[in-house]
Amino acid sequence: MCGISGLMLTQPGDIGRRLVQMLDGVQHRGPDSTGFAVYHEDRGGPLLCRIYLGCPGDSSQARAYRDKVLAIIANHGGKVLNQRFELEHLRLELQYQGEVKALCYDIENGAGVEILSMGACLEIIKSVGSAFEVDRAYNLSGYRGTHGIGHVRLATESVVDVSRSHPFWAYGFNDVAIVHNGQITNYHKMKRQLEKKGLQFRTDNDSELIAVYLADKLNAGRTLDEVLEESVHELDGTFSFLVSTLDAIGFAKDVLAAKPMVVLERDGMIAVASEEVSLQRLFPGESLSTYEPYPGTFKTWHKSTLARVA
Amino acid sequence: MAQIDARSSSITEVNRTVRKLSGNGEEIVISNPDARHLLCVGVLQPARVRILGSAGYFCGGLSDGPEIEVLNNVGWGLGDNMISGAIVVGQHASAIAGVGMRDGTLVIRGNMGSRAGQVMKGGLILCGGNANFMAGYMMMGGRIVICGDSGRSVGQNMINGAVYVGGKIEDLGADTQRIDLPASEEDEIRALLDRYEIKAPKAFRKIVSAQAGHHYATYERGESAQADERPRPKQIALPGELWTPRAVEEITVKAELGRYRVRGYGSFREMPTFDDITFNFDPDIITGLHDVRSKCNLATKLGGKFGGKPLSLSMPIMIAPMSYGALSKNVKIALARASRLAGTATNTGEGGMMPEERAEAAQMIYQCLSGRFGFNPHDMQRADGIELYISQGAKPGLGGQLMGKKITAEIANIRGIPIGMDLRSPSRHPDVMGADDLVIKIEEFREATDWRVPISLKIGAGRLRDDIKIALKDNVDFIQIDGMQGGTGASSEVVTENVGIPSLAAIIQAINGLRDIEADGQLQIVLMGGIRGGLDAAKAIALGADAVAIGTAAILAAGCIACMRCHIGSCIRGIATQKPELVARLDIEEAAGRVANFLEGMATEVAAITLACGKTDVHQLDRSDLVALTPQAAAITGLPLRKASRRLVPAGGV
Repeated sequence: MCGISGLMLTQPGDIGRRLVQMLDGVQHRGPDSTGFAVYHEDRGGPLLCRIYLGCPGDSSQARAYRDKVLAIIANHGGKVLNQRFELEHLRLELQYQGEVKALCYDIENGAGVEILSMGACLEIIKSVGSAFEVDRAYNLSGYRGTHGIGHVRLATESVVDVSRSHPFWAYGFNDVAIVHNGQITNYHKMKRQLEKKGLQFRTDNDSELIAVYLADKLNAGRTLDEVLEESVHELDGTFSFLVSTLDAIGFAKDVLAAKPMVVLERDGMIAVASEEVSLQRLFPGESLSTYEPYPGTFKTWHKSTLARVA
Repeated sequence: MAQIDARSSSITEVNRTVRKLSGNGEEIVISNPDARHLLCVGVLQPARVRILGSAGYFCGGLSDGPEIEVLNNVGWGLGDNMISGAIVVGQHASAIAGVGMRDGTLVIRGNMGSRAGQVMKGGLILCGGNANFMAGYMMMGGRIVICGDSGRSVGQNMINGAVYVGGKIEDLGADTQRIDLPASEEDEIRALLDRYEIKAPKAFRKIVSAQAGHHYATYERGESAQADERPRPKQIALPGELWTPRAVEEITVKAELGRYRVRGYGSFREMPTFDDITFNFDPDIITGLHDVRSKCNLATKLGGKFGGKPLSLSMPIMIAPMSYGALSKNVKIALARASRLAGTATNTGEGGMMPEERAEAAQMIYQCLSGRFGFNPHDMQRADGIELYISQGAKPGLGGQLMGKKITAEIANIRGIPIGMDLRSPSRHPDVMGADDLVIKIEEFREATDWRVPISLKIGAGRLRDDIKIALKDNVDFIQIDGMQGGTGASSEVVTENVGIPSLAAIIQAINGLRDIEADGQLQIVLMGGIRGGLDAAKAIALGADAVAIGTAAILAAGCIACMRCHIGSCIRGIATQKPELVARLDIEEAAGRVANFLEGMATEVAAITLACGKTDVHQLDRSDLVALTPQAAAITGLPLRKASRRLVPAGGV
C-alpha cells in the first residue's frame, strides 16, 4: 500500500531532486519508508554496487563487513576501484566481468549484508522516513541522471525496515528495479517457481517477486514490452507498478484498476505517479495534460525514443 | 470576488475560508490548487467556486449546494456523496466520479476513470469523453451520460437509474439490459449537454438494470408461502462426528436454495471465549465489597487524538452499531434512550441516522458503510463521532444484508433503493481500495466535520496484528474490533460460522500488533463481539481494550427471545422487524429502561472486579489480573495457566 513515482528525461538532469519532490507529493500514501532508484548517465564505467550494512559506516562492525565483501569480490576475480561508506551504506565501484548473480549470492550469503543495487548506472537508496529525510541523509538532490523511480511505503503485512522498502532491485540482475503499489496474491506460487529455477529472494515481500520475475524474463532475451504484457496476465491481485532498466521505464496495471496511476508525457520528459498531485510538484501552478492508463494495460518508454514523445 | 491562494494555506484553511464565504453569493477563486486533495469538502451552503488548475481526491465531496468549476483535472471521488450542486471539470476526472451522490450535477468535459457513479442514488453525471470500465457500478438511481466510448462492464450490477452511451460499448455489465430510448428522452439528454456546451453524439443507447439481482432466486423458509410449502427434508442421523445433524441439515437446505443460507444472530460454533480466562483475585475480597460504583472510576474518553471532542462515557461500555432496517424504529429509539440514561454512546449502524434516535441519544456515532445508504454530510454535523465500517465480526469481507421483507417505503427512501429488494450491501468501499486510499478518506471525514469529532474504524477480526498497524498509520482516533461472535440481522451462515477469529484472540492480536511497533497505548481499542456482561467487559479491558460495545446483549436486554426470525423480518418481539403490528409490540420506555438497567448492572460488575483486583480505576486493570483456565486459552492469550497465589489488598479499605 503505497505511492509511486517515476521520471525519465531526454537529457541528463537533476533526477534526484525532482523525484524527492514527486515523492513528497504522495507521501500521505506511505509514511513508513521512502526509496529511490536513480540511473546515472551511462559512461561505460565500472559497476556500481550499493550495500546496506545495518550498522553505521564508521563502526568496526561495518569495516568487518566490508572486508568480507571485498574478499568475496576478489575471489570472483573482481576489482574494487573505489569504496566509501555513506551512513549505513557501503558504495563500491568495481570492475567485474563474471556472472553478477553468482557474485551477489556469494556476497549476501557469505558476508551477511544486503545488496541494495548493482548495475552500470543504477543506484538504489532507501530508508525508513520521509522523502525529505532520506534526501537529507543521502543527498538524493545531488543525483543527476536520465531516469529513476521512487516509492513511499505504508507497510501492511511485512515489517517496516530497509530490506522491505521499495524500490526492489531484481536481485542478481544488473540495472533492473521496480516499485509497486498493491498486493500480489499468487506470490507464494510464483516465488516457488522461480526458486525452483535457482533464483533467490531476500524478503517475504510480495513486491520483490515482481522485480525478479521481470528480470528473469528480460534476461532470457524478451523485450520489456513482451515481459510487461505477460505480467498483466500472470500476476494475480492488485498492482500498479513501475519497472526501470538501463534505458527504459515501463508500467503495468492490473485488470481491476484498484490502484491509481497518472501519466504525463510532454516535451523532454515523461512522468508517472500514483496521483496527479505528485506530477504537479514538477510544474507548480501549471495546468497539466495528463491521462490515466486503462486497467490491464502496460507501456514502456525508452531513452532512445523518448525524444519523439510530444 | 474572493481570492484564495492554495499554495500558501493548508487545505483545512482553504476549506474554512470557502465555508465562511459561502452563502453570500460572491465568487471564490482558488489559485495554485496543484491537484491537492479535499478541496471544497463539506461545503453545505450555496457557493460559487472556481479552481484554477487541477484538484485531487474528493473535490467538492460531502457537500450540499456548491457550484464548482475546475479548470483542469480532478482525482478520485469527484463530488463524493454530494446532496446538491454542480461541479464542472474542464478536462478529465479520475476513478469513481460521483460516488454515492444523491443529487446535483457533475460535468466532465474530458474522460472519466473507472467506476463512475458507483452506488450513486440520484443526480446526473455528464461525460463529454470516454468512460473507463464499470461506469454505473451498483448505481441505485440517477443518470450517467457518456458521449464517447464506455469501457468494460458498463452498468455492472446496477440496481436502478440509467446509463446512456453515445460511442462504442465494450460490453455490458452483469444484470443489465439495453433498451430503446424514446425520442423525448433523447431530446432531454441533448438539451442537458447543450446547456454545458458539450457536443452530443449521433445517437445514444440506454442501459438499465435487468433487475435479476433485486431478489434472491430462492427464498428461505418463513420468507414466502412458496418456500414454506416445500417438503421438509427427512431428519437424518448418522453415527460419528463428521456427518452431524447440523452438517446434514446444511446440505439439504443448500440443495433447496442453491446458494448459501442467510440467517441472523451470530456464530453458534464452539470457540474460545472470555469464560476460558478469569481474574486471579482472592475470592475473600468480594465479601468486603460494597457501594462499588462510588469507589471505582469507570469514566472513559474515546478519541481526541487529533483535536476533536472525545466521546465522554460514564462507563467503558457502548451500544454497538445496529442499523435501522435490521432493527425496528422502536428498539433503535429505546437503545438510544438507554445509552443516554446510562451516560454512554450509541451507534447508528448502517442505513443513516434516524432523527428520533438522534434526539434520544446524548452521544451518537454515525457509521459510514460501503453502500453509503442514508449517509449524508448534514447528519455528519450532528454526530459525536464518525465511524468508517470496514467489516464486521459476523461477516468479515461481506457487506450487510437486508432482506426484502424489511425494506419498507420509509427505509427504501432513506437508503435510496427500491422498496422490497433483497439488499446486499457492497463488500468494500468504492473509494477505499487499500490502506493508502483510506488515509485520504479519513481526512475527508475530518475536513467535512472541520476536525471536530473523533473518527474511528470498525474492523471484523481477521488479520488484526497487521490491520491495527494500518489503522494507526491511517490516523484514526480509535478502532472498534468485532470478534467472530458478533451478531447480525442477516448474513450468509457459512461466513458467520467460519470466517474471522474469536474476540478473545482478536484483542490479543491487536495489542500485540501495536507492541510490535512499540505503539501500545497510541491507538484506543473498543472490543465487541459476544460481550455478555461486566465480567467479559472487565476481562477485555484487562487484556488491553479501552472499552467494549454490546449488540446482542443489548437486544436480549430489550426483550429478544432469539426466535431466529431476524432475517425474515418476523421478530415476534418487535425488535428485528419492520412490520408495524410487530414493531408496536415493543414498548420503547420499558425496553429503554431494561437496557439502561443492564448497562448499569454491567458497570457495577466491572467496578466490583476492578476493586477486587485492588484498583480504583477500571483503566488500571491489566494482564497481571488475569489467568487462563484452559491450555488453549493460555496459548491464545499468553496468560499463565494456573491461578496465581498472590493475595491482594483491595484499595480504599473496602
